Amino acid sequence: MAALNHIAILPILVPMAAVIANLLLGNLRPPSRVRLNLAFSVVLALVSILLLVALAQSDGHLAAVYPLGNWPVPFGIVLVADRLAAVMVLVTSILSLAALVYASARWHSRGTNFFPLFHALTMGLNGAFLTGDLFNLFVFFELLLAASYGLTLHGGGRNQVKAALHYIAINLVASFLFLIGVALIYATTGTLNMADIARAVPLIAPDDRGLFDAGAAVLGVAFLIKAGSWPLHFWLPRTYSSAAPPVAALFAVMTKVGFYAILRLWTLVFANSSGPELAFGQNVLLVLGLATISFGSIGALSSKALDRLASYLILVSAGTLLLAVGYNAPGVTSGALYYVVVATLAAGALFLLKDVIDQILPAEAQVLAVSLEIYGDEEEAADDVDEVSRTVPGAATLVSWCFAIAALIMAGLPPLSGFVSKFAMISAALGAGPTAATWWFIAALIVSGFLVLVAMVRNGINIFWTSLPDSDTPLVRTAELAPIVVLLALCVALALAAGPAMAFFTETAAFIHSPQGYVDVVLPREATP
Amino acid sequence: MPFLACILAYALQGRLSSGAVYVSGGVAALLFLITLLLFPQISAVGVLSHRIEWIPQLGLNLTLRMDGLAWLFCVLITLIGLLVVLYARYYMSPKDPVARFYALLLAFMGAMLGLVLSGNIIQLAVFWELTGLVSFLLIGYWYHRGDARDGARMALIVTGMGGLALFVAMLLIGHIVGSYELDDVLASGSTLVDSPLYPVTLILFLLAAFTKSAQFPFQFWLPNAMTAPTPVSAYLHSATMVKAGVFLLTRFWPVMSDSELWFAIVTYTGLATLIFGAAAALFQRDLKGLLAYSTISHLGLITTLLGMGTPLAAVAAIFHIANHATFKASLFMVVGIIDHETGTRDVRKLSGLRRFMPFTATFAIIACGAMAGVPLLNGFLSKEMFFTETAVFNPNAFVNLSLPIGATIAGMLSVAYSIKFVHGVFFGPPPTELDRVPHEPPALMRRPMELLVVVCLAVGIIPGITIGPFLASAVQSVLGADTPYYSLSVWHGFNWPLLMSLLAMLGGVVIYVPYYRRFRDVDGLPFLTRFRGQRIFERLLVNATNKWARSFIELFGTQRLQPQIFIVVLLALLAGVAAGWARMGNLPLPESFDPVLGLVWVLGGVSAIAAAQQARFHRLAAMILMGGAGLATCITFAWLSAPDLALTQLLAEIATTVLILLGLRWLPKRLPVPDDLTLRSRARRARDIGLAVLVGLGAALASYAVMTRGAPTGISEFFLANAYKQGGGTNVVNVMLVDFRGFDTMGEITVLGVVALTVFALLRRFRPAADSADRPEQQRLLDGSAEGQRLADDFLRIPALIMTWLFPVVIAIAIYMLLRGHDLPGGGFIAGIILSLAFILQYMANGTRWVEERLRVLPVLWIGWGLGLAMLTGLGAMALGAPFLTSAFAYAEIPLIGKIPLATALLFDLGVFALVVGATVLMLIALAHQSIRRPKPAGSAKPREREGLAKWN
Amino acid sequence: MELILAAAIGVLAASGVYLILRPRTFQVIIGLSLISYAVNLFILAMGRLRMDAAPILDGANANPADYVDPVPQALVLTAIVIGFAMTALFLVVLLAARGLTGNDHVDGKLD
Repeated sequence: MAALNHIAILPILVPMAAVIANLLLGNLRPPSRVRLNLAFSVVLALVSILLLVALAQSDGHLAAVYPLGNWPVPFGIVLVADRLAAVMVLVTSILSLAALVYASARWHSRGTNFFPLFHALTMGLNGAFLTGDLFNLFVFFELLLAASYGLTLHGGGRNQVKAALHYIAINLVASFLFLIGVALIYATTGTLNMADIARAVPLIAPDDRGLFDAGAAVLGVAFLIKAGSWPLHFWLPRTYSSAAPPVAALFAVMTKVGFYAILRLWTLVFANSSGPELAFGQNVLLVLGLATISFGSIGALSSKALDRLASYLILVSAGTLLLAVGYNAPGVTSGALYYVVVATLAAGALFLLKDVIDQILPAEAQVLAVSLEIYGDEEEAADDVDEVSRTVPGAATLVSWCFAIAALIMAGLPPLSGFVSKFAMISAALGAGPTAATWWFIAALIVSGFLVLVAMVRNGINIFWTSLPDSDTPLVRTAELAPIVVLLALCVALALAAGPAMAFFTETAAFIHSPQGYVDVVLPREATP
Repeated sequence: MPFLACILAYALQGRLSSGAVYVSGGVAALLFLITLLLFPQISAVGVLSHRIEWIPQLGLNLTLRMDGLAWLFCVLITLIGLLVVLYARYYMSPKDPVARFYALLLAFMGAMLGLVLSGNIIQLAVFWELTGLVSFLLIGYWYHRGDARDGARMALIVTGMGGLALFVAMLLIGHIVGSYELDDVLASGSTLVDSPLYPVTLILFLLAAFTKSAQFPFQFWLPNAMTAPTPVSAYLHSATMVKAGVFLLTRFWPVMSDSELWFAIVTYTGLATLIFGAAAALFQRDLKGLLAYSTISHLGLITTLLGMGTPLAAVAAIFHIANHATFKASLFMVVGIIDHETGTRDVRKLSGLRRFMPFTATFAIIACGAMAGVPLLNGFLSKEMFFTETAVFNPNAFVNLSLPIGATIAGMLSVAYSIKFVHGVFFGPPPTELDRVPHEPPALMRRPMELLVVVCLAVGIIPGITIGPFLASAVQSVLGADTPYYSLSVWHGFNWPLLMSLLAMLGGVVIYVPYYRRFRDVDGLPFLTRFRGQRIFERLLVNATNKWARSFIELFGTQRLQPQIFIVVLLALLAGVAAGWARMGNLPLPESFDPVLGLVWVLGGVSAIAAAQQARFHRLAAMILMGGAGLATCITFAWLSAPDLALTQLLAEIATTVLILLGLRWLPKRLPVPDDLTLRSRARRARDIGLAVLVGLGAALASYAVMTRGAPTGISEFFLANAYKQGGGTNVVNVMLVDFRGFDTMGEITVLGVVALTVFALLRRFRPAADSADRPEQQRLLDGSAEGQRLADDFLRIPALIMTWLFPVVIAIAIYMLLRGHDLPGGGFIAGIILSLAFILQYMANGTRWVEERLRVLPVLWIGWGLGLAMLTGLGAMALGAPFLTSAFAYAEIPLIGKIPLATALLFDLGVFALVVGATVLMLIALAHQSIRRPKPAGSAKPREREGLAKWN
Repeated sequence: MELILAAAIGVLAASGVYLILRPRTFQVIIGLSLISYAVNLFILAMGRLRMDAAPILDGANANPADYVDPVPQALVLTAIVIGFAMTALFLVVLLAARGLTGNDHVDGKLD
């Protein structure tokens, strides 16, 4: 247990050490610097795996609780690594490793201080997932935001700066909302520890309850901004698509942080405090989720460039997750967790893929393809074309396969993991007894899947069939192709091992949906009256 | 059965293998043999099944289940697959990268087998999609052709939609029945039909089946799919894949067909398709197009049969599935041969080929006969059964009339286009417009086709022996116990059906003759050429993806910042009010009033509002006013017993101001212009003000409510009680920062460091706008001459001197602040800011160059060490086994300063101090440095590497 | 006293919000600073107001009842620092945007 506890903080400390190392060893030659950073990322990934394994093996609904400074809970800050947190941390670490490998090929040299910022972002993400303290959550949010600002601007041209301006402005407002929310919650509950808040909510004086709800609502808005919910997400596609590909890949996790925070607090604090605000909030989440998902999928339909498409896909997944949270049923949640992992990895891969494709294809070819599609090509009659297909260069074939896999996952088509997750969610929703919400839920998932399919097919055809240059084998670095392949391979593996994976997620969801268990783990007995 | 499973797997992964002809052929043959060998078992046992667990807890398993029906399909799939492979061997050009082709073909075979063998309905949906995906790749095999791309895309989108519909339908069925296992579903009897969800389920279900089997109105994708290589058309689009839809109907026929809804929809969709397809087939120039439409119409026929819901009809349907597969596949091969030999598939160019390729001709004629339903051929038998079924008396008068008549008309048409095929291609004068002389194809290319035709004959003449048993078992598996009696003999005596087919024969000829005279050059149905499904579809797609989606995004989204912020703030306000208003409780009136604070805030508030009003044109004024507000805030902090806050706020205030001052220079000059008084801008301003006021009210209300309530018993006592005993400091706030909540501080300083790095990285490539690129006139004025330079030095000399002397003092103050922080107001952050302000003073006094020459601080290193120190402090605790950041402390006497706490927290605070110094200095310097650069304005070439800044990283 | 502070928070917040809704980057940054004042005061207020009760203990034996709640102060301190950092960052980005787009409109479009 003690060992486990110390593992719990490492996902935060390792990246921090990486930041420090980068700062102190400023005059390191590029190759060795790259190696250093890769080493740190690898270690981080290992640590995360260790954490998850340790949690999975320790039986039942156990979460590692780590009191910082050894102060008694709830007074000091505490890290709580339950399975949910551990999974998110693992996803973050893997994705960051992949992105870092990718970046180490070219991108890191596009601007100053890439590596420290990158590790800082990882640190912020992991911290946000692990912490069990509301204000500490704020701090880590700020950390990951600050890092993300820096990375958005990385190698900044005009677009980056313009996008970043909006991004920063909106998120600064969001931070203020966050503070106000936290302040109100503290004012009414007198504590900052999440578990302790969950304990204190029933004890709030009836008069103060309104204040508490207001604070929670404001906090919720702050989270929704992070989660990329409609109509608070307009900054997102622009920011993501203008950020450097490896950065964008890691950003794929960032919206999930919002989702995580909502899920955690929602299930922990509100789900058990039954009242009007429960149903209300639930409906709000459902509606927002629907709006987001439709906006995202239609946006995907409208987007011609792959990076934009990917950004909208991020929105689609965000909407799906909001729906799942709003549905507030363990079965659906477990499906959603599976979905988070898959969607995040696939989206990250897609962002990287986009960059590779840009290397293979001249941009004007893609533009031509698009116009060709819109206006048709009269000059090309069917007969005068030889009925001999082309041999596709090897690298391009691999890339196209990656694209196909990513497309299948994103559209949730069988037989890949995207399909499994949707199947899990829908069947759980049906199993929970169909209500009006169920039909909306199913319709949203299916229709969005269809639209995404159409969008992906269009782009795929335009990229690989219309404008693939003949015969010349384009140069693609292995260091850039490998991470993509690995990420997608993971998704496929998840589909094959769907059985055990779903079992794991089911337990996780069960734990999330029984807040008392969480509270008991975090708070020592005497603290809970 | 597991044996078959592994073969199936092999077929699937054949996709990856180099997929030579022999591999694929071998696999196909092997599968075929296995299937054949399995028949005895099937006929004996009825159902074989084998299960592989996938996601048991969701009831989703990989179940392979073979019964008569599945067996029949397996035979079709494998046999025709085998033949097609052989055929393609000669059809495909040697230059083609055939590996991909065969691999895909194999993959399809695997998917199709999986589809017909799946014993789990979800798995069925899975393989269903797979067939769609593979066929997409096969249709698009010649992807350099625009029409191939469009055809492929259309096929995928239409069938993909169907697949998703099927997925939902299956989920619903599973939900109703309570299991996803096919056995359970088939055993469920009338549960489905009775369930309230039946209609929606049925609709989705049929949507899937109809899209796949190209039923009206979804038929349009099939002709466009003909852009695929002919073997593919023969295999997928006549024999197997398009049969998947009717397979589905047959599969679920027992449990779903027993309802009026089913009858109405299925039968008449089928009938419509039947007639439409036949008619359209007549008006095709392209032979493949003709076959495609005839396929559609035949599928329609099968659908109609299934729709009628009588057992005998089902028998006929199954029978016709097999028949159609055989003769249509062979005909496609014929077309392929013709295309291959003559280089065209256009009926007008072709004629009289009988002389050049007699064998092909004969076989083709026979096959066509089967298609038309000529006696002694298999087509005839199933068509007879069809007519019989339609002729059965039905109480509903409309049905009673429409079915037989429609059937007869369709019969005529199909005869007509069969004649067209034969007559148009093989008879008449020798072809004139051909660029080469056609001749018989290589024997092996013919064999497959010939074999199939032979089958047609065999079945047609001696059905009882050839197909009887197989058909029987298939029918058994569908109908189960209540299998009716049916006879497969050729001659049923003179009755209605016979009359109808005779009518059809004659009618066909009668139709064809005038057609041949008048319409032979018409392409596409004369009265339908206007809107073709394809056109509509393409338009729809293009519009949907370009115009509509775009406008939707513009309607519900925005790229501009102001609306976004507006929405955010508004939403936050609404959320807060909506959630809070209900149980806000009552607000007591203020009891105490404090004149001084009141006065302070009269000023503060006024300056805030004034700042808001001034910020547009008078930046400096706005800043000073803002400073006023800030000052008021500081005073309030001090007043309300928060000295640390007051200090920190003040210093942060100063630092910010300095930064903004340094930055102002790069903003464009603004002269107050009379702001536009258009109604619109006025309205917007009013709207913003309104929102602002509301937010202000909300915030004020909330805070007032909180302040007038009693505090809950929270965590605060603990800190007050233990700050000294366990934290070793009397300044509780500071103890919290460096100890109780040291982790926050660690994160916070990381943020500061990260921001500093970002700022630095950004300023490295800073490009001022053109109009502010040249230096401000003050500078130009000064360095115009040595005179000016001296002047500058003079009027800054005294302050420079003072500040240089001041430097050490400030440093001393900073250190003092740092050390006392634990007990009295002060601490790392405050000290850090003070120190960095000292540097700024130097900048102001002695100019950037002077400082940069003398400065010994390397900010990035300071940041690094600061973070490092903080972290090491924490790790130290870990080394001792305690959790991260556990603190220990002791007191030490130091002369002159007095008793100071030597807590590990102090080290931590030292780290904070170092980092703050580093970060702040880095930002200030980076910004200040811009003033001595000669930066190129934006849009010009890359700015040259700057020695000045190179020092800092 | 509470009333005054509440009013102050309200005024600061209102003028800040008005400013961040303006189209000029400089207005936005001023607005953000004003809002940050408001938020800091707001957080402080959450600890209820006490005068002359600074949380600086005299000696070991201190009675918690004599001191104001220190938690909000700690939070505000963190908030101030972060706010300072963010303001600086936003300022620089704003400058860069002005440099690259040639004007100081938030959307970078020409007036």
